[in-house]
Order: sequence, then structure tokens, then C-alpha cells
Amino acid sequence: MLNDITIGQFFPGNSVIHRMDSRFKIVLEILIVVILFVAQNFWGLGISCAFILMIYAASGISFRLMLKSLKPVLPIIIFTAVLNLLFVKGTDAPLVSFWVINIYEKGIITSAFMLLRIVVLRIAMSLLTYTTSPIVLTDAIESLMKPLKKVKFPVHELAMMMTIALRFIPTLIEETNKIMMAQKARGASLDTGGLIKRARAMVPILIPLFISAFKRANELATAMECRCYRGGEGRTKLRVLKATRLDLYGTGLTLCVLGIVIINNIVFG
Amino acid sequence: MNIIEIKNLQFEYKEYDDAGEVTSTNPVLKGLDLTVPEGQFLAVLGHNGCGKSTLAKHLNGILTATGGTVTVNGMDASDENKLFDIRQTVGMVFQNPDNQLVATVVEEDVAFALENLGVPTEEIRKRVNGALRIVDMYEYREHSPHQLSGGQKQRVAIAGVLAMKPKCIVLDEPTAMLDPKGRAEVMETVKMLNEQGVTIVLITHYMDEACQADRVVVMDDGVIIMDDTPKKIFARVDELKAVSLDVPQVTELMYRLRKHGVGVPADVITEQECADELLKLPHLAKAGITKNAQTRAGSGGSYAAEVKHLTYKYSVGTPFEATAVDDVSVSIEKGQFVGVIGHTGSGKSTLIQHLNGLLKPTSGEILINGRNIWDKDTDIRAVRFMAGLVFQYSEYQLFEDTVYKDIAFGPKNMGLSEAETDARVREAAAAMGLDDELLERSPFDLSGGQKRRAALAGVIAMKPEILILDEPAAGLDPKGRDTVLDEISEYHRNSGTTILLVSHSMEDIVKYAEKILVMNRGRLFCYEDTDTVFSRTRELKQIGLGIPQISRLSHLLKAGGMDIGDDIYTIDRAEERILEILKTNA
Ligand SMILES: Nc1ncnc2c1ncn2[C@@H]1O[C@H](COP(=O)(O)OP(=O)(O)O)[C@@H](O)[C@H]1O
Ligand SMILES: [Mg+2]
Repeated sequence: MLNDITIGQFFPGNSVIHRMDSRFKIVLEILIVVILFVAQNFWGLGISCAFILMIYAASGISFRLMLKSLKPVLPIIIFTAVLNLLFVKGTDAPLVSFWVINIYEKGIITSAFMLLRIVVLRIAMSLLTYTTSPIVLTDAIESLMKPLKKVKFPVHELAMMMTIALRFIPTLIEETNKIMMAQKARGASLDTGGLIKRARAMVPILIPLFISAFKRANELATAMECRCYRGGEGRTKLRVLKATRLDLYGTGLTLCVLGIVIINNIVFG
Repeated sequence: MNIIEIKNLQFEYKEYDDAGEVTSTNPVLKGLDLTVPEGQFLAVLGHNGCGKSTLAKHLNGILTATGGTVTVNGMDASDENKLFDIRQTVGMVFQNPDNQLVATVVEEDVAFALENLGVPTEEIRKRVNGALRIVDMYEYREHSPHQLSGGQKQRVAIAGVLAMKPKCIVLDEPTAMLDPKGRAEVMETVKMLNEQGVTIVLITHYMDEACQADRVVVMDDGVIIMDDTPKKIFARVDELKAVSLDVPQVTELMYRLRKHGVGVPADVITEQECADELLKLPHLAKAGITKNAQTRAGSGGSYAAEVKHLTYKYSVGTPFEATAVDDVSVSIEKGQFVGVIGHTGSGKSTLIQHLNGLLKPTSGEILINGRNIWDKDTDIRAVRFMAGLVFQYSEYQLFEDTVYKDIAFGPKNMGLSEAETDARVREAAAAMGLDDELLERSPFDLSGGQKRRAALAGVIAMKPEILILDEPAAGLDPKGRDTVLDEISEYHRNSGTTILLVSHSMEDIVKYAEKILVMNRGRLFCYEDTDTVFSRTRELKQIGLGIPQISRLSHLLKAGGMDIGDDIYTIDRAEERILEILKTNA
């Protein structure tokens, strides 16, 4: 059911990773992606892989959850692997050859390499959302984008929109469920018939949903006004993001790994 | 010192066309005067649309008067420069708990106003924790709003206002969307704040809440027509009824007894006062109370709905697995009017959603008209037409551009002919008291009560054998509530349709239902006729169900030596018994 969708899968905890400043986490996340793409051989990839597994262990997120994060991207992973397997041509004779398909040793190696890279990439990305609550993430994005305010980019408004969206997604999902049930009770058939018929069947769901969303938006705006909302100007925060020594260590460590991977590239070519 | 001073307040809503020209004006406030001294607990009553919310929005500068003045703590409410001071002085809490929480974490939400005001971080933290402790939500500070109950959300909303340290809090129907437990939580919080010196302005449709105020004002058509203590206001029963309002049950009882010439005072609002007054009357001779042998017309042994060992589990196979309904068996006789009651989470909604096949049992069977609805050869849509289900706040399902088309949605889905559909639409609309001329209007132009009845008509037009209504009166004003429930009851009498009425209000249920089905923690607590259920009031209280004020009165009377019977749950019956006793003792 719709209810099972969780937005920003956050698993609260108190590990070093959880405690890190979310701004650093975002920047280091980007750095890790860079490392993964810089790594040109299995040695480099292996080192970055070990690094990420180490972070995972430190975060206390279970192995099962780590694998679970792969599920949605499984088709992409398989697609990339197969593509590389089939189309990367080596110089030596193919290992397997039937019909129009030729599989070379190089293909297998490249395919394995790409597979590993995507898997690790995905796992690394899920680490960020697993250990950082969406609202903190929003704060961090707002804070990182602050320089853009100079060019009149609506940074605060964007962050406010994200917050409100996060706040109302569960409410609207619940509401959609209710309206669907109500229309089903009046004999609406939502999941039979052709495409056009189904699209038409959505009208009794969407109209009430829009009307209610507008009403909510209106009431929320009034409630925000009542609580003295006047945009981002002069606003303070309950939660201030603060960099600690932990973040410096984290940055140092990540830069070290990047260095090792680059040296490894140079040495082993 | 007066915290609020309103003089000759006028306000009209204006509609503009695309060119910015005023196309129509709707005068709502018409010269209203009101002063509220600091520390007072003021309740505002008035039917829907009389301008209560409009008034509230003037108290902190959300709307600005078109005439007259509003002064808040010595500041002119229309003074742009003082806007944020005014909004800190007068905080607002609204009806819908979902639409006033901004942040995804409780403490963030409470901090919202302070963040806007630029309060330093340490100070925000201190005030947020303080506010959360006051409303007793500190433990939940890291929860997200959608994990909370309605009452908890409203308390968070109150905390969000409290964090600004306001002198006055205006609450616009804060309990209208809550269950009895949530209502009690919110009222307790409000009273506690008042004791701490915060001025309270409470707009409400619940008379029992108004009774707890220091002062009540009644609004009608944009002005204040009555202004006095709750006792004095409610004594004016005729005037209140003329403006579509209600009075507490015991006040109504006194009013009726006085009409019969019994010498009791009119200004009685609590059951204790009422019992004291009644016990002063000569009653000592024990009246021979004969229980009204109320055997209802037998139903001939056929059942409209049978539930056999129904168990339903949500989210089976996940860590969130929960049993919502646990081995419930019950058979509903044809033509019965059944009241379904139980506190939130007791499994009422889950049970009724099984009756028309919206949910499929985890185990057990559902029979409608003797047929198992999950048999392979049963068409589940046909079941939905047989067992019509009207959800809570059913007006949210309206979507067509005319009321007519909306009511016709169900019959059309049934594949009925044009002529048959037309007949049914008109019949259903008439049954719900909607005039023909309303049928061509947009459903969104109707009043709240009319919208609700239009949505009900949409299900009635399918002519279901069983009509299941989930809280059909929730959130309406007293008049709207009575109209909806009366129309349903009349429809029941005329059509003989089996009705299941789910409600949190025991008063409403006993007024209309012949039998009561009580759910408790996913299990069937009992399914009996009303008299039998009321012979078990102690158990009802134990499982957290409220009983009508008039029943509580009868218990007090019994304790005082005046036994009017254990089966008192309507004013009619109490009146009849008391008059009987007084006559035998005359
Ligand atoms: N935003 C608005 N625009 C136009 N008319 C409105 C608006 N809000 C309320 N009204 C109208 O003002 C009148 C009083 O409404 P309201 O103050 O909400 O009454 P109450 O709170 O007592 O139910 C109603 O006729 C309503 O239709
Ligand atoms: Mg209102």
C-alpha cells in the first residue's frame, strides 16, 4: 500500500557517523563519489570499498539494511553489468562465443569492475540518508547553498518548501488512501480497464485531493502568519549545525583515502 | 486591565474579478463590541457562518477591520508596525491539527515562532522545552507530527503558541476534530493555562466546554447577542434554540420540568447542581419504577450482516504487524439501527470496512444477506452497493461540478439507466433534506452541513441494504449535527434500511440507536439493546467510554435516594420518570 512508502529512510542512532555535521557529511559524500570514479583498478576500488564498509560498521546500520538499499537500483546494476559483459571487446580470442554473442576476458573484468563500483556507490549514498534525518539534511543544504543568496537565489524559501513537503507527504498519502476508499465505496473501479479508463477513474480521486491540499495550504499559511513568519530575514534556528573535531577527522580520513587511490593509480597505472 | 477591546467592529469579505474590481461584498461582522479582561476564560458560541472565525482573525491582525477598532493590550491591531508584538501577545490555535504544524519534528515546530522572531538559540531551546513540558509533550519532542494522535497534535500546536509567551490564546474550535480523549486532553491544558494567568478565548460548539468558562458570549449574524456567565446564558434555552444552539442535557431537563410547572431553577448546568435541586423536591416515597418493556419489532431471524470470527492484522509480516480486529463474531438483524461505539483504535473502522469488502479478512468470514462476500463467485463491487459506507468527513469525496452529478456517481457506477438514476438522485437528495434547487449548484458552494448531507445522499442513492456511517456528524455545529442525524433516522424509518452509526458521542448514539455494538481493543465488548448496555455503565466507564450527562444525573439521584431507574440515557425518559415520581408523591 501507499503507506509503506517512507520518505528519507532515516534510522536514528548515536554513532560517530550520526553525530557528524550534516554539511560535512554531504561534502564528504561527494568526495567519496569522486574517489570511486578516480579509482581505476581493483586495488583502488578495493581500498575505497574497505573505507566505506568501515564507515558502515561505525554507523551501526545493519548489514541487511545496507543490502536493502540496493534493491531499488538492482535493474540498473544488472543492466550495466550485462551491457559491459556483452559489448566490451578484448584483443584476445573470446572466452565464450555463440550466435552473435562474444564474451571476452576484458568484458568480464570490466563488468565486474563496474558492478562493484555501482554497488559501492549506492551503498555510500544510502549511508547519508540512513544516518541523517531529512530535516537536518534540509538544514545542511540550506546552509551549503547560502552563498547563492548573493545572486538572489531563494535559498530559504526552497528549504522551507522542502520542510513543508516532508511534513505533508505522510498526511497527503493518508488522505489519498481515504479518498480512494470513499470512492471505491461508491463503486468506482480504480484498477480495471484500459489506460484511458483508468486515467478517467483518477478524476474522483484527484479533484478532492487538490481541493483539500489547497485548503490545507491556506490554513497552514494563516497558522504560519500567526506565528510571526516573515521569510528568512533575521531568522534564527533551534538547531545550529556545528562542526566538531569529528568532522575534521572524517575529512582528513577521506582525503587520505583519496590520496592513496590517486597514488595507486599512478603506481599501477 | 483589558487585554482585548473591540469597538463597533465591522468587516466584509470582498471578492475581486481579474481586473481587481470588487464584484461582491459579504458583510460578516456588523458592529461588534467586546472587551476581555486579562486572565478571563471566555467561550464564544454561535452557529457555523456567524462570523466567529472572522472575529478571531481580527484579534492578531490576520484580518484588518473595515470599520471600528480592535485594541490588543493597548496596541491598535491594525498598526502594521506593532504586528509582530500583537501576534506575540495573542496566539492562535486552529481547528485542524494537521494544518497548523509546520515542521517534521515536534520540537522544531514549537520553535517555529521563536525562530521567526530571531530569538537566540539557547533561549529558543529553553522556551521550547518549557512549553513542551507545560502541555506534557516533552517526551514526544523528537517525534514527527504524523505519529501523534489528534489531541497530542493540538497540544503541540498550543505549545508552539506558548513558546511566544502570549498573554492571550485564541482557540478556534480546537476540539472539533478530536475524539473524547483528545478533547479532554486539550480542555485540561487550556484550563491549566488559564489558571496560570493566560487569557483564553475559546470558540466551540461543545456546550460542556463552554460550561467550564468564566464567561460566555453568543454570536449571531456578526454581532454579540448574549454575554453572561455560563449558568445565566444556558438558562435562556428558548433564545439559544432560536439561534440554532444547544444547551447541556440537565439544563434542558430543568427547562422541560419547569414547563410542567415543577419549581426548579433554570440556571443549572452541572449534573451535581441538578441532582441537588431535584433532591430538594418531595420524592421520598419510593416510586414503583417499572422498566419500560421495550421489545423491538422482531426481525424474523434474518441477518443483514454476519461477521464470523473476523480477525484482521495490519502490515502482516513486517515489524509493524498489529491486530486491529481480534476474533469478532456478531450478527446484525435486518432493519436494525445499530450504534457502534469504542474509543479510537478499538477497531471500529476496521470492522466496518470489512462489511463492504474494502478490507479482506486475515481470517474469518463476512456474510451480507447470507452470502459470503469473499466467495469466488461474488462480485465485490456488488457487495459495495449492498453495504454502503460513508466515511468520516465525507464531504471530502465530493468532486463533480454539480451536486446532482455527484450524487449520481454511485448509481452510474452501478450501471443504472438514466431514468432510474434520476429518480434515485432526487429521492436521495430529498431524503437528506436537500432542495431541488441545490442540485444544480456546485457542491463547493454549499454550507458545511449541506455538503455532508450531499455526500450522504451519494451513498443513499445506491439504495444499499445496509448503510454504514462513520461519524456522520463530526465537526458540525449543533444544528447541523441534529439535522444530519434526524434525516438519517427518518430515512431509516421510511426505508427500513439497516443502519450502522459509528460515533464517539454516546448522546447521539442513544438518541437514535436501538442496539449498541461496543468495541474494545479489537474485540467485541458487547452487542445488546440499549437498555442492557446501560445496565453495564460501570464497565463502560472502565473501558474509557463516556456516558451521557443525563445518565450521570440518574446515578447521582439514585445515590441521593431518588431512584429513577438504571435505564436513563435520554432526556425524554428522565423527564417522564421524574414527572411520574412527582405525581405519585403529590
Ligand atoms: N476567506 C473568506 N472569503 C470570503 N468569505 C468568507 C471567508 N471566510 C469566511 N467567509 C464568510 O464569512 C462568513 C462567516 O464565516 P466564519 O467567520 O468562518 O464563521 P464561523 O467561524 O462562525 O463559522 C460566512 O458567510 C463565510 O462564508
Ligand atoms: Mg469557524
